[in-house]
Amino acid sequence: MSDGLPVPAPGGATAPSSLAWQRVHPVTPLVKGWLVLVVVVLGLLRSTAEQGDGDGARFALHHLAWVLLGIAAIVVVAGTYSWLAWRVTAYAIDPDAVHMRSGILFKQHRKARLDRIQAIEVRQPLAARLFGLAEVKVEVAGGDGSGVSIGYLTERTAQELRADLLARAAGLGAPSSGGKQPVAAPADGTDPKHAPDAVTSAAGPGRAPTLHATEAPEQPLFEVPSGRLVASTFLTVEAWVLVLVVAGAVVAAAAARTPAVLFSFVPVLIGLGSALFGRFNRSFAFRAATSPDGIRLRHGLTETRAQTIPPGRVQAVELVQPFLWRRFGWWRVHVNVAGYGREANGKGPTTVLLPVGSRAEATTALWLVLPDLGTADPLALLGEALDGSGPSDAFTAAPRRSRWLDPVGWRRNGYAVTARAVLARSGRVRRRLVVVPHERTQSLGLEQGPLQRRLGLASFVLHSTPGSVHPEVPHLDARDARVLLDEQSVRAREARSQDLSERWLQPPGARA
Amino acid sequence: MTDDAPAVRAPGDPFDPPGLEWSRVSGKLVTARLVPSLTTVGLLAVVGAVVALATGAAWVWVFPAFFVLLALWLLWLVPRQVHAIGYAERADDLLIRKGIMFRTLVVVPYGRMQYLDVQRGPLTRALGLASLQLHTASAGTDASIDGLPAEVAERLRDQLAARGEARLAGL
Repeated sequence: MSDGLPVPAPGGATAPSSLAWQRVHPVTPLVKGWLVLVVVVLGLLRSTAEQGDGDGARFALHHLAWVLLGIAAIVVVAGTYSWLAWRVTAYAIDPDAVHMRSGILFKQHRKARLDRIQAIEVRQPLAARLFGLAEVKVEVAGGDGSGVSIGYLTERTAQELRADLLARAAGLGAPSSGGKQPVAAPADGTDPKHAPDAVTSAAGPGRAPTLHATEAPEQPLFEVPSGRLVASTFLTVEAWVLVLVVAGAVVAAAAARTPAVLFSFVPVLIGLGSALFGRFNRSFAFRAATSPDGIRLRHGLTETRAQTIPPGRVQAVELVQPFLWRRFGWWRVHVNVAGYGREANGKGPTTVLLPVGSRAEATTALWLVLPDLGTADPLALLGEALDGSGPSDAFTAAPRRSRWLDPVGWRRNGYAVTARAVLARSGRVRRRLVVVPHERTQSLGLEQGPLQRRLGLASFVLHSTPGSVHPEVPHLDARDARVLLDEQSVRAREARSQDLSERWLQPPGARA
Repeated sequence: MTDDAPAVRAPGDPFDPPGLEWSRVSGKLVTARLVPSLTTVGLLAVVGAVVALATGAAWVWVFPAFFVLLALWLLWLVPRQVHAIGYAERADDLLIRKGIMFRTLVVVPYGRMQYLDVQRGPLTRALGLASLQLHTASAGTDASIDGLPAEVAERLRDQLAARGEARLAGL
C-alpha cells in the first residue's frame, strides 16, 4: 500500500516493508474536521452578511451564487487535502510494537513499543458516535504527546484492536483462551502481576485461535449512579462559588437597576460552569471492572471513553474526601499513570478511578490497583489511614510541635509502611490518603525550610510520574523523615528487582 | 508522641548523616554564578546613580543604595550556597543535597534514571565547568548538579549511565 505521492521519504522514516499497513476509516477527516468546517462556513456567511451595509440578508441573497461557490471551493480544497491525508494515514502491528504513520508533507512514523504500554483507551467523541466510529489511544510513557492515536475506526475494529494490542502486550503471542479472572474478591491476596499461573492453569472457555477474538473476560466492580454524581457535583466548592456568583450578579443587577450588569459576570459563569459540567460529563455513567488485562473504566456523557490500564501501570493512588462529602461518606480516587500526566493537568483528570463512591467502593478501587496491601489486616490499616489521626502501631505521625506549621491538620499528617506500599495520610478538613507501591517509587526527597529546621521537622517527598497525585508527608520529625528516606530507598530497590509487570501474562521464564 | 525517639534512629542532622562521603562542587561555580548576577545588579546600580545625579533629589539615591546592598548580600550568599551543594554516590543511588535556608535532599536510584544531560554555557565552559542533570520518569525529581569540573561531569555521566544500565527497571 504505497502513498502514491512523489514525496521523497526522509531517510530512516520509511517503514519496514514487511508491515501490514491498514488504513483508518474514510470518514475520519470529516469527524476530525467538522468543527473547523462549520466555523469557516459560518465565518464566511457572517462576513458576507456584514458587507451589505446593514442590509445583509438581501446582499447575501444577491450574491448567493458567489457565496455558494466560495463554500464549494473550500469544501473541494479541504476535501482533497483530507483525502490525501487519509491515504497516507495508516497503522500496523508487529510482535513488538504498534506503528502509525501520517502526514503528507511532513511525514511522521511513530512506533510505540508494546511492552511500554501504560494504558489503552477507546475514545468516542460525539461526532464519532454518530458515525459509529471510535479512536484507539495507546499511551506509552514517553512524556508529552508520545502516545499513538489510531483513528477513526469502526467500533468493532477498535474493540478488536484494543483486545489484540492488550493480548500482545501481555505477552500472549497467539492466545487461544481469554484467561479466567484470577481474582474474585478484595483482600484475597491474589496479584494480577502473578497471573500467568492463573491463566495457564485455569483454561478459560475455548475461543477462536485468532488474535482478534480474544477480549479478556471482565468482572464488573462498581458503577456510579447519576443521582449521586449530580449530588456530589453540587457538593463542591466550585458549585457553591457558582451559586454565590449568580446571587451576586442578580443583587448587583437589582441594585444598578439594569440587566446589563449581568453580562459582566458571564465569563466567570462560563468558566465555573464548564469546569463543573466537564467533571460531570467525564464521570457520567462511570463503571469499573477488572480483567486479566487490567483495570477497565468506562465513562462519559457526550464523549465516551473506555480505558484499560494494565496491571502494575498505576504509579500512585490518592483517596480524597472533600469536606462537604464527609456527611455522605463519599470518596474520590485518583491515580497517576505514566503518559497521562500532561493531559491530566490540562483537561481535567482523565485518571479518575472513582469519581464519587462510598468508602467500600473507594477501598475496592484501591484494591484494584494494589490487590495485596502487604499487611495482615488491610481494613484496619485503611480505617486508620482514612479517618484516623495521631501515632499508632502502624502509623508514624507528625510530632505535636508541627502544630505551629499546620495548626488544623497536624494530627493527621503521618505515614505507614507495609510490605508492598507506603501510605501517606494528611488533611483534616479535606481528608487525603496517598498510596505508592514500593516498586513504583521514582526518586525520594527531603525538604526543610527555616521554620521546620528550628522545630526539628522535615517533609518527606516521593516523586511519582507526572499526574494529579503528589505523594508527600509534611512536617515529620526530622529523624523519622531521615529513617523513612533511607529505609524507603532500600525497599524500593528490592521491590523493583522483583517487579515483573512488563509482560504481565508471560511466564517469567519466557522473558528476554 | 514521637518526640521520644525509639532505638533505631539516625542521630544528628538528617541532611548530613554519618557514614556518607559528600563530594563538593568546584569553587569556581561561585564565579560562574556571581558574574551574571553582579553584572545585572551593578548595571542597575549605575543606572540608579545616574538617575539620582540627573534629578538631584536626595531620596532617589535609595535605588542605587538598594542595588549595592543587594550585591553585597549576593557576595555573602552565593559562596555559602555553592558550598552547601553536595552529592554522594552510594552503591545503588545518588544523593544530591542543596540549600541553606530551604534545604533539600534528593535520592535518585540508578535504576530509575531515564537519561542524563551534561550542559555547558559560554561562561561555565570558560571556567572549565559543566552541570549534570539526571532525569527520571518523574517531573518532580529536581536532580541537577551545577559546577562540576568538566572531566568530573563526563566521568560521572558515563559512570552513572553504566550503573543505570545495570540496574535498569521498567517504570
